[in-house]
Amino acid sequence: MTTGDPKESSAGPAEVEVVSSEPELRIGVFPCKCGKNIGAVVDIDEVAEYAKTLPGVVHVQVNVYTCADPGQREIQEAIAEHGLNRIVVASCSPTMHEDTFRKTVKAAGLNPYLCIMANIREHVSWVHQHDHEAATQKAKDLVAMSVAKAATLEAQPELDVPVTQAALVVGAGVAGMQAALDLAEAGFKVHLIEKQPTIGGIMAILDKVFPQNDCSICILGPKMVDVAKHPNINMITMAEVESVSGYVGNFEVRVKQRARYVDIDACTSCGDCVEVCPVDVPSRTDQSLTWQKAIQIPFPQAVPSSYFIDPDNCLGMDLIRCGKCIDRCEQEAIVPSDREKFIDLDVGVIILATGFNPANPSNIPRLGWGRYPNVITSLEFERLINAAGPTEGALVRPSDLQKPKSVAIAQCVGSRNISTRSGCSNFCCAESVKCALLIKEHYPDTEVSIFYQDLRMHGKYFEDQYQKAREEGVKFIRGRVGEIQQYPKTKNLRVSVEDTTHNKLVMEEFDMVILSMGAEGTAGNFPVPISCTSDSFYIESHPKLRPVDTSSAGVFICGGAESPKDIRDSVIQASAAAGRAAIILQKGRYPIEALSAKIMQDLCSRCGTCVNRCPYGAISQDGTGKFTVMGALCQACGTCAGDCPKDAIYMPNFTTEQMEAQIEIALRENPGDKIVAFACAFCSYRGSDLAGVSRMQHPTNARVIRAMCSGRYPVRFAQKAFEMGAGAVLYSGCHLPADCHFQTGNHWMAKREPRIRGWMKRNGIEDERFRVEWVSAGEGKKWQTIMTEMAEVVKTPRKQMTKPKPKKPAASKEKKPTAKPKPKAKAKPTAKPMKKPGSTKKSATKKKTTKKK
Amino acid sequence: MADEIQNTRLDNLKETARPCFQCGICTSSCPVFRVAPELNPRVSVDSIITKGEVPREGNEWLCAYCLMCDQRCPMGVSLAEILMEIKNIAALEGKAPPDVIDSAESLMEDGCLSPVSSRSEKKRSELGLPDLPKANPKDVQKLFKATGALEVLEINKAAQEEDKE
Repeated sequence: MTTGDPKESSAGPAEVEVVSSEPELRIGVFPCKCGKNIGAVVDIDEVAEYAKTLPGVVHVQVNVYTCADPGQREIQEAIAEHGLNRIVVASCSPTMHEDTFRKTVKAAGLNPYLCIMANIREHVSWVHQHDHEAATQKAKDLVAMSVAKAATLEAQPELDVPVTQAALVVGAGVAGMQAALDLAEAGFKVHLIEKQPTIGGIMAILDKVFPQNDCSICILGPKMVDVAKHPNINMITMAEVESVSGYVGNFEVRVKQRARYVDIDACTSCGDCVEVCPVDVPSRTDQSLTWQKAIQIPFPQAVPSSYFIDPDNCLGMDLIRCGKCIDRCEQEAIVPSDREKFIDLDVGVIILATGFNPANPSNIPRLGWGRYPNVITSLEFERLINAAGPTEGALVRPSDLQKPKSVAIAQCVGSRNISTRSGCSNFCCAESVKCALLIKEHYPDTEVSIFYQDLRMHGKYFEDQYQKAREEGVKFIRGRVGEIQQYPKTKNLRVSVEDTTHNKLVMEEFDMVILSMGAEGTAGNFPVPISCTSDSFYIESHPKLRPVDTSSAGVFICGGAESPKDIRDSVIQASAAAGRAAIILQKGRYPIEALSAKIMQDLCSRCGTCVNRCPYGAISQDGTGKFTVMGALCQACGTCAGDCPKDAIYMPNFTTEQMEAQIEIALRENPGDKIVAFACAFCSYRGSDLAGVSRMQHPTNARVIRAMCSGRYPVRFAQKAFEMGAGAVLYSGCHLPADCHFQTGNHWMAKREPRIRGWMKRNGIEDERFRVEWVSAGEGKKWQTIMTEMAEVVKTPRKQMTKPKPKKPAASKEKKPTAKPKPKAKAKPTAKPMKKPGSTKKSATKKKTTKKK
Repeated sequence: MADEIQNTRLDNLKETARPCFQCGICTSSCPVFRVAPELNPRVSVDSIITKGEVPREGNEWLCAYCLMCDQRCPMGVSLAEILMEIKNIAALEGKAPPDVIDSAESLMEDGCLSPVSSRSEKKRSELGLPDLPKANPKDVQKLFKATGALEVLEINKAAQEEDKE
């Protein structure tokens, strides 16, 4: 399997060639004073002198502000003048300026991935303000670590893939319709898939919609017609997505459409067929409050305006079994030979607007729905008060069709309950108040009581509604309904609630009770790996800053599929999703992650471990048993590499070789005092940066090594560090269970902990020397605490390892030549001398033992 | 020492009570509350959450331990357990109500709370049913000793005496 036809970025100017590694290593180091930020603590000139002695370094230039225009220009000039092919900027955190300097070197004709940073501000000068000497020493170490890593950096091609100029919108409720219309208006082809025979979703069966209480179908109907008539929208009803393959820009979607048995174009919706159909089935639209026929239309305004046959209830579409409708239809629109069919679509982006289901009241037996006819759900109420409903808008109670004189509305049904759904449904408060107002509008003398727990009238104009309801005499009682019982003769209902503001029991009789229903998620069945919450709603990329993106590039979410929400919010989110999707479509090409994993086939033992480590489904096996990574799906977390037993997965810029080189340099002097801290780029590293920005002082022992995700740290890194005599090792990621930027990386890292601890026990290393911590980007304080605590641990010298393993370095040396997927020569010889001081464990352990004596 | 135990008990109680959002489903489901509104599980929990202390009015002794509140609590708070723990804490402080102490004493003496009546014994022999096993007070006393109930009983009896004086 290949990644379509990725090609070199068309965005970059043609004259900028990707400079691949030249045989000779020419590293340029640019220590930055950052004004007094670094310069006042770290002796930058000393660092610069030291950097000159490092292998491979041919040019060192100190700057006061490297990130400023003159500083950047100096880097570019140095590249040209000295023929630099690796750049190390020793200044602030890579999260701050890595992008800046990558752009700088790119403009100078160097591949941007050949530039890295040494973080001597957030990790040194800002957190070790009072120990200039140790800070300078740490800065030197960090520069040396970065130089060692730079020596093995490789140019990464910047690839992109073409984008099919079409979108798939799944679900044609109000959110899906809005997203489809927006994209269609922007000029893109849209395939709109709807499971039901009509578009419109839940909104189409509501009566009035808050807060203005305008007629729902009157505002939705025209929009439905717009969707049907739009030349750019291909509307497919009674259909569901069967499978999705491919990746952003190039999804191949297979849609299964159920048989309708009625020709949409021929049907005039005259309704003659209904008159002759002998089968009665409970009406889905009317919430089973009335009957409809086996040949039916959901509601008069349905789009497409065509009947369909419910095959489960139809007696048979032939003249022997029934066939009355066929006989009657003058348009000859009924097609008994209709069968389900598959439609294949090629799309560039997918918008999921699959909505939610109303919560199921039969799960809550104490409220009596289903046993007591006068207990109805809010959706049943909508149909009862709807002019198109079973009673033509006359609100009556179902048991005797009499006008109710007192109505209770129970809120939070199916929401805010840990056994069903713990979340708030977001709309049931406003819905209840709307119901109360509608009842008061119909029958001003009917008593309405709302039993609420917390009335959340948070939206625009909602408070006015609440005020109006109070003015109309609606009673608001704080307390959730405990139970409902029926008086057998009158079928009236006795509602037991504690009025929690007065600590007294309300046990009142009502003619009718409306259960204000919450929502149940429907997510999880879509054939694309997108993470879902425990209550089946899709999880967005970032709850605040990327609220409609998902973890799968090119797949967006909106409406009730993301979380329960009202119409206004659904429409807003749908437009947002359409806008985000249009960005991808309009560009025509999509850049794929340059750092995506690559499997080195000669090392791969084909165990398949990587496949289930990948949260994006990017790794697949072809017919010959070969595993490959689909570059466009890979997000470069490296969790696969972290668990690969053969170390056969190459993670560009975070290769095992590079990270081990950093470990070696960090531990070449006084390893027993050092804490080797691994931090993930999106959470823990940012947490450590925050400690820096907040000037949270801590001891200088730590040498932080960055990876994309905590899932990248294999057992081997800790072992290597300890073998080299490290005082302590920290594996830090973001909080379990769900905070990982790459979804599951932290879980897999946590699973390695017992293995590391077991190994440590066998080798006589004290347990407290290894820590697994969860530090989020907001927990600078926690980082400081951990660093301080671990510094205490390394104060006691380490015992000698009981069972040193001498075999490992030889094995890894053998691996190295093959460890390169690219044949391009690396600056191996120059890199080697660096490893001398501490490369063999023997010397490391020896040093340690002598120190102890 | 005793204070320490009571404090950890209170801390655990706070932890158990924390999810409660005071919706009142427990109270409206409580069969005792309907006849004796002094027992309000929600208010008992509220006192733990907001005041951070165990309610001292002794209303929790009315709880019939039917577990309806546990069953229906939307937040999964085990209210019956909380009420039971409040009672335990009160008992350790010698604040169990006299009727509870009386029943405990009679349980220790007779081995059961309601002895089998001679009438039902007669009825059983008429129907040819086997005799019910006799309660053995010694077994119960052993249990009282093993579970520490005896100590609690002593504390309460002493407190009762003190009150009388």
